[in-house]
Formats: sequence, structure tokens, C-alpha cells
Amino acid sequence: MRVEYINPFVEAAFNVLKEVLNADVRRGELYLKSTTMPVLGVAALVGLAGDVEGRVLFDMSKDTALAVASAMNGEQLPSLDELGKATITELANMITAQAVTKLHDLGFKFDLTPPALFTGENMEISDHEVEALIVPMEVPQGKIEINVAIRERA
Amino acid sequence: MTGNEGPSVVGTAERKDRIDAINFKMVTFSLSGKDYGIDIMNVKEIAKAGKFTFVPNAAPFLRGVYNLRGDIIPVIDLRVFFHLPAEKKDEDALESTLILRIGDHIFGVVVDNIDKVVGISSAAIQPPHPIFGDINIKYISGVVENQGRLYIILDVVRIFSPKEEEKPRVVAETAALSAPIVIAEPSEAYDRGSSATSELDFIKETLFALKRFGATELNDGWLNARFAEWKSMKKGSDLQLRNIDDAEQFLEGFFSPYTATFWSDEYAASVQSILPDFSSKTIQAWNPGCGKGHETFSFACVLKNRYPDVRIKIWANDNDLLSISSAPNMVFDLEDVPDYCREYMSKGKNGYGFNAAIRDAITFEYHDVLNANPFPELDLVLARDLLSFLSPSDQSRVFGDFSDKMKSRGLVILGKNEKLTDETDWKSIGNDEVSAFIRA
Repeated sequence: MRVEYINPFVEAAFNVLKEVLNADVRRGELYLKSTTMPVLGVAALVGLAGDVEGRVLFDMSKDTALAVASAMNGEQLPSLDELGKATITELANMITAQAVTKLHDLGFKFDLTPPALFTGENMEISDHEVEALIVPMEVPQGKIEINVAIRERA
Repeated sequence: MTGNEGPSVVGTAERKDRIDAINFKMVTFSLSGKDYGIDIMNVKEIAKAGKFTFVPNAAPFLRGVYNLRGDIIPVIDLRVFFHLPAEKKDEDALESTLILRIGDHIFGVVVDNIDKVVGISSAAIQPPHPIFGDINIKYISGVVENQGRLYIILDVVRIFSPKEEEKPRVVAETAALSAPIVIAEPSEAYDRGSSATSELDFIKETLFALKRFGATELNDGWLNARFAEWKSMKKGSDLQLRNIDDAEQFLEGFFSPYTATFWSDEYAASVQSILPDFSSKTIQAWNPGCGKGHETFSFACVLKNRYPDVRIKIWANDNDLLSISSAPNMVFDLEDVPDYCREYMSKGKNGYGFNAAIRDAITFEYHDVLNANPFPELDLVLARDLLSFLSPSDQSRVFGDFSDKMKSRGLVILGKNEKLTDETDWKSIGNDEVSAFIRA
């Protein structure tokens, strides 16, 4: 993954999470991962197109998703209902949009697809021929893994 | 050890008798789950001992001194001595201790568990093999199987030779000093050869463990030459690499010139001289393991000089996030930049950087070559000293990727001391400084 893409995603994730949760956010060590990987339980996916092809995946456990959605709405949600899901989707949208804006300022042109939300148990995600950059974020509600897989259009 | 000399002089009938006779007894014990033995003639007694008195400034394997019915004896922890994991016990807990008598000296030795006394025939003892990697081979006098268990017999005379007093100062030195006392002159050429091979094998294993240096055909030539040099440097005494400093010293001469800095004018010229003509209008190159990018920038300038009218595209990557992150926007002092690069520099806010033509030619990526390598067809691969630092199986996998992506007349540039041995597919076109191979 191109070096210039890394920072915008890390910064955007950090800023947005800090702002919407109004809490301490800690970033873990970045690393690379290839092949199939398990999904924790709730995954919001935003596709990228333009100069590049790829996607960004926001991965967290169901409990974390519920706690994050509750914190963002300012009330305790009973379960991950329509409102909760819409909140997580919006969070994914905000982070990706901010990252893409930063990248645009650097001269890279990306388009976004609307986010899609997946929930379920024992899910896996596979990417063909592309490795993913993992940005682990620790928030008081739990762990959110941001999984960025982008490659240049050959 | 006497059993090894026997067979040639003793007749078959006598030999058969000897195999059945028990003429060697050893006390067996365990260290981190493996079985070991010590010649019973060296063992004075066994004891449960504890409350050793700590001795300041002594080597870490010296647990302290112990009062054995009025005699003060040093107590050595064999697990620490051999760098094996030891279970931490309470201060007051009693440890299984063997009391050894070697010459006039008495020592205590702490082990995990003392097992029993096993009697065997000394003819059944087999010479040690480097595969028993936990313990340096020079401290093993042999291995023997008894009732389904394999015992490694320690050469305590060699471990606790009379030079013991000097041990606390420098471990390596003592081993070197004690070695000449016990090593018998190898009488046959065969012995000499096999022990050299196992020494080298051992070094190879250590290099991989300490520095992830994978010894294969690729670097065999250098390794053999370096081993010979190492031997004469160490004068045949302690050859093994004990720690990361030793390993680094051993590998000192391996690296290609101008690693992690700009290539000098001469080196750049010698790379340029071997670059073949390409007919296509674009040249695609891959530079895995580019570090901070000095190598990639040098290479880009060389390519621009060699092929002025061709579009150049270099994919440069590294799995070290810190190094690679700084690569795209590096700034330099003009005097640090060699002549052949200067025409591609432009002045920015903070200093000189490479101009857009060079920067656009290079894509720096945070990428691990062991993951999928989705690159287009390549004309050039620049991978100096990269493959050697992968495990042997990863080496062949990554090199497989090189050749899969490579066009038919493609060129691979490897580290100075890395050579491809497959001469039917890859023809060497390098020189003394540059190791380069073109696809035949």
C-alpha cells in the first residue's frame, strides 16, 4: 500500500473517534495482513474507486458497536437496532470521507461508495492479491480495527 | 569416550562381549524437559540444597556458594549456563543439586530433576550431532539410548576444567582456553572434515536464529569463504557465535556496498554499465526492501541516465513502516548527494529534494514481500541483500515471484555476495561489485 495513503486514514480515524466519542483514543501498532481474516462481528465496509481500487473495513465486536452507537446517540440503546446500525454506518462514512478529503488535498482522487454494514457470527473476509493495512484503535468502548486494502490501478 | 576408538583394534567376538557389558554408569537428570547424563565417576554425591550465598560480580550462571559440611563450594546453575528456561523457585526452596568432583575441585550443579543411575556399555555411546541444538556441541561427549530414552552425556571435565577460576570474567574466553586441553588431535582427515561441516552448520543455524540470515545456495559461496576466514581469525578456537554481536561481526562483510546511503559515482557507473538495452517504451522495476529509499533514488537516477527517452516506473517497498514513511519526502544537503543525482534535484522549502520527474517514477509502498505481490510485468528487479534474510522456503517463494513477474529478457540485481546457481535459466552479467543475472 502506497505510503502516502497511510497517514490520512490513521489521522482521520483518530480525529473522528475522539470527536464523536469525546474520550481517550489510543492507536495500536500498524501492521500488514494478507489472505483471509476473521471479522469480529460487526463490519462496516466502504468501497473506494478512482485512481485506486480497494475498500476500507471497520471491524468491531457487537458489544463495542452497541456501546459506540449508544455513546454517539447520547442514550443507552437496548440492542443494535436500525438506529444503532445507521450510527455505525455513519461513523464509517465520516472517517473514510475525512481521509479521502485529506488525500484529495495531496493530489489523489478517490471516490467512495455508500457504506454497507455486515453483522453476523464467524464471518471471514478475503481479498484477492492485496494485503491490508490494519490500524487498531482502542476506545473506552472496546477495540475498533480499521482495515484498509487499496491498490493502484495497474 | 573410549568406546569410539575400539572397533578397529578389537576383534568381532570380543566386541560383541563388550556391547553387552555395562562399563559406563551415568547419573541422569533433566534440563528443560530433555534427558542428560554425567559420568558417575565425576559425581561425588547428589543433594537437595538451597540458600546459596550470592556472590557479587560473578557470572550470571553462578548461583552462589554453598556450605557442604564445612567445605565452601561454588554452585552453578546449568540451565542458566546453557541458556535454557528455568522455573523460578522461592528463595528458600531446595534445588536438585549434583555435587561433582573434577580433579581437585568440587562443584555444585543445579538441574531441574535428578532421575537415576543408568548403566550402559560405553560402546553404545555415539558421537554428538549438531542437531542437539540447545547445548553447544563442544560440551557434549556423546549421546546414548537406553530403554527408549535418549540421553545426552555432558562432558563435565570440559565444562568445569581447571581454568574455572577465569570463567566468571569472560565466558567465551574460558571455553577457548579450556578447549585445547581436552580436544584430542583428530587423527584422520575424515574427522577433521566432518567436524568443520558441523561447525559451519551450527553457525548457519545461529545466524538464522539471531539475524534471520537464511543460508542457502544463494549465499553459500560467500558463507564458505567467510567461514574459512573466520576460522583463521579465531585461530581454530571458539568458532561459535554466542550472541548478536558475534553474528553481526560474522556478517560484517556480507552487505552490498552503499547500503542505506546513496550509491557513489563509481558504483552507479558500474550498475549502469551492466544494464541491457530494452526495446519497450516503459521500463517497470521492482525494488523490494528499499528501506529509507536511498537505494531507490540512486537506482532511479541511474535508470534516467541510461534510458533518457523511456518512461520509468519503480515500485519500491519495505515492511518497516518507519523507514518507508519518510522515503517519499526526504530532503538532503546538496553536498551529500552524488554528482549523477544532482541534475534531478530541486530546491524546496526545507532543502533539496528530488524533482517531480524522479518522484513520479517511484511509488513507495508499505508492503511485505511475503504477502501477495501484485505487480505488473517487470523488466528489472533490484533486491540487494533481501533474499538472504528470509527463511530458505520464503527465499524460494519470493524468488519464484521475481521470475513469475519478470519479462523474458529481465534483469535481477542481487546483493554483492548473492549468486544464482541455476545457470541454465539465469546468466550472470555482473562484475566484481554488482551481482546481476539476466534471464536466458
